[in-house]
Amino acid sequence: MGLSNVVGDLSLEMEVDAFRRLFPLRFYERHLSESIRPDGRTLKSARDTSVALGAVASADGSALTKIGSTTMLAAAKMEVMTPSADAPDEGSIAVEYYMPSICSPLVRPGRPAEIAPVISKQLYDTILSSGMIDLKELSLISGKAAWMVYLDIYCLDADGALFDAALLSAVAAFSHLRFPVVSLNDEGRLVMVPEEGNGDKSGKEVVNKEKRKLSLSSPPFSLTCALHKNYILADPTSEEEAVMETFVTVVLNSSGHLVSLYKPGGPVLTQTSVIQDCIALTRQRMKEVQEILDESISGMEID
Amino acid sequence: MAGKASATPATYSPSPATRKGKPTIYKDGDRDWVRPDGRGFQQCRPAFFRTGAVNAASGSAYAEIGNTQVIVSVFGPRESKKAMMYSDVGRLNCNVSCTTFSTPIRGQGSDHKEYSSMLHKALEGAIILESFPKTTVDVFALVLESGGSDLPVIISCASLALADAGIMMYDLVASVSMSSLGSDLVIDPISEEESYQDGSLIISCMPSRYEVTQLTITGEWSTNKINEAMQVCLDACGKLGKIMRSCLKEATSATSE
Repeated sequence: MGLSNVVGDLSLEMEVDAFRRLFPLRFYERHLSESIRPDGRTLKSARDTSVALGAVASADGSALTKIGSTTMLAAAKMEVMTPSADAPDEGSIAVEYYMPSICSPLVRPGRPAEIAPVISKQLYDTILSSGMIDLKELSLISGKAAWMVYLDIYCLDADGALFDAALLSAVAAFSHLRFPVVSLNDEGRLVMVPEEGNGDKSGKEVVNKEKRKLSLSSPPFSLTCALHKNYILADPTSEEEAVMETFVTVVLNSSGHLVSLYKPGGPVLTQTSVIQDCIALTRQRMKEVQEILDESISGMEID
Repeated sequence: MAGKASATPATYSPSPATRKGKPTIYKDGDRDWVRPDGRGFQQCRPAFFRTGAVNAASGSAYAEIGNTQVIVSVFGPRESKKAMMYSDVGRLNCNVSCTTFSTPIRGQGSDHKEYSSMLHKALEGAIILESFPKTTVDVFALVLESGGSDLPVIISCASLALADAGIMMYDLVASVSMSSLGSDLVIDPISEEESYQDGSLIISCMPSRYEVTQLTITGEWSTNKINEAMQVCLDACGKLGKIMRSCLKEATSATSE
């Protein structure tokens, strides 16, 4: 066809950057046929991941995670609430995901990112359904007071795999979370007790001396795979996400069980083997990520 | 959201309430009071800058001055919105927002809507708008932690981000603020000092050209006090300008290696 001839001729003369901008699909397909990606990764490898705990000093638990250039900052703050009548021994969690204007050229102050509330809801559902947190651990005084954990996740730099990075930062923030020590004051409200040696001067009973952190059972980890024709690309960048046909997000918990599977639209998947491959990739990725997370947790505890 | 259909229960933070009423950090006439962090009255907090914090942006910078942390991203020059009329000079669009954890109590600090327009006015004089006609440069700031003297930090960080993006400017814009506490003047106040201040002076200037792009004064100031404060602040801006310049030089020498 005339057009492809023109493109063929142009591709010989044009600079790589211009070709990448004008014909992104052809650019990527050229790479995929050689089983490599423009940044040098193989199709199955994820980008460098790092987790730094305690990034926000004023929060009770926080984490800064980077997957390649995608950067997420999660901070958990704890406030006191009255538990509901039908669950007097349970606290609550509120997860909110924000994409401020700094993170991407597609987000503007008057036009918030469409994907932000989707990811926010996805995160909330995944965290709750994975059973990572036992809400009964958040109870303070049965029927009267319980902890409400507000987890706010901010995307500081959006470069693909947003859900993966956000989930990792949420899990990391929860593992870093330390409960403030509180006691009941005269007005029946719980106030923080300053960290002192033994016993507090006011003589008030400390409500939660023993319980200082959450015990997380089987935290969830995820991997997003972009699907294009017969290719499966693990951990896509934002450029790849824009070009690929569809993607699948698989969430597994640490015992290897499937927590959730998400494929938003796109062409029909006719083979279940594709899903099996994605799950296998996620399993592998989960081991890597767990190691990274465990390293940073043990690094914090030595301090 | 379906998951939160049940009304979010009212919560309160167990942190000790902030003091109100008579300030405890100083008393009138007590000349020997010390600033909460031990600095001299004319001593600024140490400043740390880094450019290239956000890869998705044309230019970006991260600034950390004491406990105040700010990230600024610059996008552009890019196409103006369709509603805008033709303009043969470029446009500048600024927006400042805060995270929910920027203040000790969650969600309490988000009422600084005037920061966006103040940032705009501080930077406008320094940018060569004629170099990008018909297009818009977007400057977005996010305050990660509000430790006092937020707007000056945002302005300085924004001018670094603009330099990182390659937007043509007459000079960097360095900004410093001063608080008047009774009869004393303290530079670069922290949030505690700001809450007790009687007046404030924020100055943004281009250090190499010794030109002021913005001067904001609130509260009661005698002419002498204004002169004294301006002089001290302009000196501080000069020093801050040098730090910003060295940050840019480091960034370029790092990329050229």
